[in-house]
Amino acid sequence: MAKSTFQNVRVGGVVTCVPTLEKSIDDCVELFGGNTKQIERLKKTIGLDKRRVVAEGTTALDLCSAAATHLLSAAGLNADSVDALIFVTQTPDYLQPCNAAVLHGRLNLPKNTAALDVNLGCSGYVYGLWLAHLMVSAGGCGRVLLLAGDTLSRLVHPKDRSVAPLFGDGGSATLIESTESKSPAWFSLETDGTGYEKLMVPAGGMRQPSSEATAVESVDADGNVRSLDNLYMDGAEIFNFSISVEPQSVEELLAYVDVEKKDIDFFVFHQANRYILGNITKRLKLDPEKVPMQTVEQYGNQSSASIPCAMCGELADALGANETKRLLLSGFGVGLSWGSAVLEFTDLKVCDLIKLKSEQ
Amino acid sequence: MSLEKLITIVSESLETLPEESLSGGTVFKDLKAWDSLAVLTLVDAVDMEFGVLLKKDDFLECVTLAALYERVQAIRRARGN
Repeated sequence: MAKSTFQNVRVGGVVTCVPTLEKSIDDCVELFGGNTKQIERLKKTIGLDKRRVVAEGTTALDLCSAAATHLLSAAGLNADSVDALIFVTQTPDYLQPCNAAVLHGRLNLPKNTAALDVNLGCSGYVYGLWLAHLMVSAGGCGRVLLLAGDTLSRLVHPKDRSVAPLFGDGGSATLIESTESKSPAWFSLETDGTGYEKLMVPAGGMRQPSSEATAVESVDADGNVRSLDNLYMDGAEIFNFSISVEPQSVEELLAYVDVEKKDIDFFVFHQANRYILGNITKRLKLDPEKVPMQTVEQYGNQSSASIPCAMCGELADALGANETKRLLLSGFGVGLSWGSAVLEFTDLKVCDLIKLKSEQ
Repeated sequence: MSLEKLITIVSESLETLPEESLSGGTVFKDLKAWDSLAVLTLVDAVDMEFGVLLKKDDFLECVTLAALYERVQAIRRARGN
């Protein structure tokens, strides 16, 4: 398994940007056929509540661009101090070119900047941090700007109860930079490609380009409507996947780092939903106080932006403190792909949650 | 483990479903509260109690509670516990 250790690399700032439009499961009465009892049950059991979604015409690039601009300005950095851009997204503006290149132009970065996209979802933030650590460790890159965000609301069919009330949109920007302090970091990255069909958008790529045929809507056994152009999720299988790989991945990384659960100040999991978060917490016998869980109920499942959103929304004070905080971050989902990291934060100056100012 | 224990778990997982109304012959999909959410909570509860992670297919193939009980036992036997 791909496990690795780094030193002298730190996170220098994190900003997450969410859209202004808030939706609530309480507004989905029609979607549930007037069954308000089921809505109450979903709120209570799964923790579905509010989510933020973009207006038509706003993309993950816009959200991440706003986050990046705020981050560079709050950190007092010039854009030309960034040596590389990594953009983690599965909802890019175009099939080509990559979002990182478009953002490079928008931010007016110098030409000697590396820029690339990473096609990952809920595990993507951890993978992006890992790549950024590699790039800084290898030398040449003193500072990497990691963007992670998605607008899954644009891919779900509004009449698909298995996904529509779950997903929200969000974009994040994170600085990863070299430091003279030790600042150790540990990573583990894993994949199970045999499960790729459990969570996917079947059409729109080269294997099955979008067409009139792929846009045809069908109704599944549970009465949910979607086309091949929409996001499909086998909820039961993804639940099984999450509760089996996540606890194991966390235990293995802790053993690799050679620390115990009590040595970790916060466990920041991908904010899938409260039920999965609670379940992983229970299985790992973690102190719920150490596990941020509020983010998903306010913003929805934000794919690769959910971990930074939880950090900005729930841990800004803790990470800004003078005492070092040790965090375990862990993302899991589409691929199937999952990854965990243990990072240390001291006196994090910028850790802000912002709203997108203007939408088209 | 016992069938009675599984019935208790099903009753608790599906909320508001009295244990007396369930038996080995109970057919899952005939239950009023049986839906995708019920599957999730039951998968979790069975795993926590018996250490067996059921798949969606297990619920399609096992029509009754007794059949599901047999399936869980078979998985445990195959593993040597």
